[in-house]
Amino acid sequence: MKTFEEKFTAWVDGELTGKELVEFEASLPDRAAAEAEKREMQKLGAFLKQELAAQPFANEEFFSHQIREEIGRDQTAQDRHGTRSTWWTVPRLAWVGATAIALFVLFSVMFVRENAPESQSPYLTQILNARVDPVENPNATIAMFESQKNGDERVTVLWTEGLKSLPAEFAAK
Amino acid sequence: MQIETPPAQTEVSEIELVKRCQRGEAKAFDELVTRYRTRIFGMIYNMVHNEQDAWDLAQDSFLKAWKSIGRFRGKSSFYTWIYRIVMNVTIDHMRKKQIKGGGAEFDDRIQLKEIEPAAKTAPKADELPFERMERGELRQKIDNAIAQLTPEHRAVILMKETEDMQYHEIAEALGCSIGTVMSRLFYARKRLQNLLKDVYENV
Repeated sequence: MKTFEEKFTAWVDGELTGKELVEFEASLPDRAAAEAEKREMQKLGAFLKQELAAQPFANEEFFSHQIREEIGRDQTAQDRHGTRSTWWTVPRLAWVGATAIALFVLFSVMFVRENAPESQSPYLTQILNARVDPVENPNATIAMFESQKNGDERVTVLWTEGLKSLPAEFAAK
Repeated sequence: MQIETPPAQTEVSEIELVKRCQRGEAKAFDELVTRYRTRIFGMIYNMVHNEQDAWDLAQDSFLKAWKSIGRFRGKSSFYTWIYRIVMNVTIDHMRKKQIKGGGAEFDDRIQLKEIEPAAKTAPKADELPFERMERGELRQKIDNAIAQLTPEHRAVILMKETEDMQYHEIAEALGCSIGTVMSRLFYARKRLQNLLKDVYENV
């Protein structure tokens, strides 16, 4: 559904035809005023066409020359970029990929080794396996602490309380 | 001044030129520039009323067209297609300048003072092609009247009245509906009628 403005424009430009034209002209409240308005708009159009259409354009060749230069620079840059990218995609990319994988594996192995738990000492095994006889030592407790000092140095502390005697299996061998 | 061939008469070779451009032939594009540079420059000049800006915007439009010509599918004429680029570049420039310029948008004298003489993409200000041209009082009045229209209204009235473009071509160039074009044309004409009535009645 066209608005009045759209229909009026089409009417001025001679784009309304047939039934649409008849209906539009019939709908105009003041046909004479509308016709005058139409002529005014057509006159304005002709005036603008006459005054604005012919624009002299000096230095046309310089204009084209600048565009040619810009396109030339653009193409040179693209060619250079294209050569580089080929060199990157084939051998260098493969080498970079292989090196990256090798480094990743190397660091992974080092990291796993670093964080692997050390083998348990025989003393600790003895302590862990020790049992207190509840009949002979009803209030006895054995606690064990392990702490790490200065990086690799580990210290295990055995805390005993209420023992009448140290169980025979605690004796270090 | 070089006479340009109307697009209708060169349609076949224009398509061929576009195809060659799409294969990367800069010479073919140079031919298209030669054909349309005057019309495009004139259109932009009528929009911005500044020779230096019109020159730069026309160059920018052509370079954008070259970069995106691979996407041109030939559904419209090359001229309509490049017009869309021209309009985007020009209207965008006008909007930015209106914000920055604070009302000094269409003053050529101010612009010429601001131009860097060694600017890369433009000739020196005192060597501008249009600087020596005397602008008559009539032309000045028309320019002032057009300057009071919004960028979109300027675009439709200039494309319709000076370029004889059809509604659908204008709609395509501006990326809007035909109804919008017709509506904008109505208001742009009304406004110019009020502003220029005394001028064109007496010519």
